[in-house]
Amino acid sequence: MTYSSFFYSEILAVFRRKQDVVNALVFFLLVITLFPLGVSPSKEFLQPAAGGIIWCAVALAVLMSVEGMFKEDFNDGSLEQLVVSGLYLPILVLLKLLVQWVSVIIPLLVLTPILSQMLFINWEILWVLVLTLLIGSPALFLIGTIGAALTVSLRRGAVLMLLIILPFYLPVIIFSTGAIAAAQVGQPYNGQLAILAAISLITLTLSPIMAAVSIKASVN
Amino acid sequence: MHPNLELSISGLFIERADRVLCDNFSCQVSAGEIARIMGENGAGKSTLLKIIAGVLQPLEGKIMFAGEDISYHRDILQKELLYLGHHAGIKAVFSAAENLSWYCPTKSKDAIEEALTEVGLGGYLDTPAHQLSAGQQRRIALARLWLTDKKVWLLDEPFTALDVKGVAVLEQRLKQHLDKGGMIILTTHQSLDDSLNIKEIKLTS
Amino acid sequence: MNWIWFHKLGSPKWFFQWANKWSKFAFFIGVLLLTIGVVWGLGFAPADYQQGNSFRIIYIHVPTAILAQSCYLGLGVAGIVSLVWRMKMAPVFIKAVAPLGAVMALIALISGAIWGKPTWGAWWVWDARLTSVLILFLLYMGVIAIQNSLDDMQLADKAVAVISVVGLINLPIIKYSVEWWNTLHQPATFTITAKPAMPMEMWLPLLLSTLGMYGFIAGVAMWRMQAEVLVREHRANWVKKEVLDNGI
Repeated sequence: MTYSSFFYSEILAVFRRKQDVVNALVFFLLVITLFPLGVSPSKEFLQPAAGGIIWCAVALAVLMSVEGMFKEDFNDGSLEQLVVSGLYLPILVLLKLLVQWVSVIIPLLVLTPILSQMLFINWEILWVLVLTLLIGSPALFLIGTIGAALTVSLRRGAVLMLLIILPFYLPVIIFSTGAIAAAQVGQPYNGQLAILAAISLITLTLSPIMAAVSIKASVN
Repeated sequence: MHPNLELSISGLFIERADRVLCDNFSCQVSAGEIARIMGENGAGKSTLLKIIAGVLQPLEGKIMFAGEDISYHRDILQKELLYLGHHAGIKAVFSAAENLSWYCPTKSKDAIEEALTEVGLGGYLDTPAHQLSAGQQRRIALARLWLTDKKVWLLDEPFTALDVKGVAVLEQRLKQHLDKGGMIILTTHQSLDDSLNIKEIKLTS
Repeated sequence: MNWIWFHKLGSPKWFFQWANKWSKFAFFIGVLLLTIGVVWGLGFAPADYQQGNSFRIIYIHVPTAILAQSCYLGLGVAGIVSLVWRMKMAPVFIKAVAPLGAVMALIALISGAIWGKPTWGAWWVWDARLTSVLILFLLYMGVIAIQNSLDDMQLADKAVAVISVVGLINLPIIKYSVEWWNTLHQPATFTITAKPAMPMEMWLPLLLSTLGMYGFIAGVAMWRMQAEVLVREHRANWVKKEVLDNGI
């Protein structure tokens, strides 16, 4: 096994399991639909709340797609094979995550312009939303991986993982929605974006290692 | 051939779920040797294999490979290691050939087809693994034995799900590997061909 | 520097005997200080010139809130020790302290809410400090949940260590982000008006009760750790001897 053959197999696996990506997107749409139905469909509510609504939905959809990331590999023994492969496990985790991130974030970005119309987001604000998604979502994936790796051996790990990981998502959500809110009132928002980038970078260095530790503890 | 290629275990202490599986266990396997771990169900045969492979960490004890302690130089062993556990990492969404090609990326399509033919899956090259039976999936994993250049094989129950002919073919392959200076450690309930000259390792607590 | 004590702490047996000596001491000193601090604070310290007597809940609220944070800091450090040096006592510490920290956070939350009613006119406001204690409480619940969900002890130990370390790194980020969020969203009327420096008679009982709370928690934590050590080392000879000699 080499890094490139592993990477290629991950891409292939995502193509074979398109339904998982579709599920995450439908889930994302559903969560967003809950807000106009549950609170108010008026422009006065939706326009200022749109950033928050979209980001909460993104966080949940990311958690959902990351949760099962190692499940199948754990059950069929591939995870064990990765551990003994002699390759550096954090890098394998990172490669896997990269494939996962691209497979979820690109459809999400395609969906956002449509959604932003449904939630009355202006075109200028849409650009900020897309930026926060691009810069902030890696952190969501990276943090989520740790939870996925920790709960992989549990039959019902999804709820537990949600419980552990969601608090760590708060800063990302706060700064993303902060950037959008700032843009909506015409204030500069690059500070928030910088902090988002910083959070993503910190998690990029830390979480593959933590996830690898968790995987090694889980396969036994 | 490979005078250095020697795996020696000393003072190993394994505990699982609060049960001592072995205490101060020692053994030695050299190049060209095949060792069979003996013991009842639940005696810890698979656990021992996992510890050698590096999936699990022993509580105490030392494992030396090629003169190096593998808790510090694990990569030396892992470069030479092929480990087939209970679940051997066959992905359900991949076809038989794809399952092999991501483990052995250097091998050509023909070599993979040949290996699959050896284990009796010649016609299933492009069949998705989830359409195959459990036994057939197991044999996909075994086909890696025909594709690998690794020296140390750790095989957990390789003969399950094989018919008589399959067992003979696999024994043949094991013998080939030993002749080339390889090393095999396995667990099995099957009685094996005497000509393999098996070294028996008893695992008792 | 002499590191022997550090290595000794890794030995369950040594810890058990050490804790035998010190747990009672810490506990009783703690209870004593706590009692003095709370009685002084509730009964004798002067009333606040703005908030009147309602401020006195500070003598419960602040010690518990500080302890909730200190315990989490402890978890994080123990998590690092557990992952890096694989010290046996570190997971024991996490398992023993996490519920204590959760209780502290909960008390801080409840007392904060009670304090909020007369001060802000509402049981709950999304004040920065209240919110971050709430998140701290949720983090504790995550640690406890994963400890209890994983049956395999080694895996559970690793998992809580990982989560504690990640939490330790995240805690400042969370705290900072909540504060930033709060200043963005809160009308200024909700924050307590900038307080003058506390007079000595108010401050001293607060210090005493905080120190007392530390001692109290240290004592309880040591007892919990001792119990956990006995469970984990139940096959060791010294445990048999200990139980036979001194009972459980």
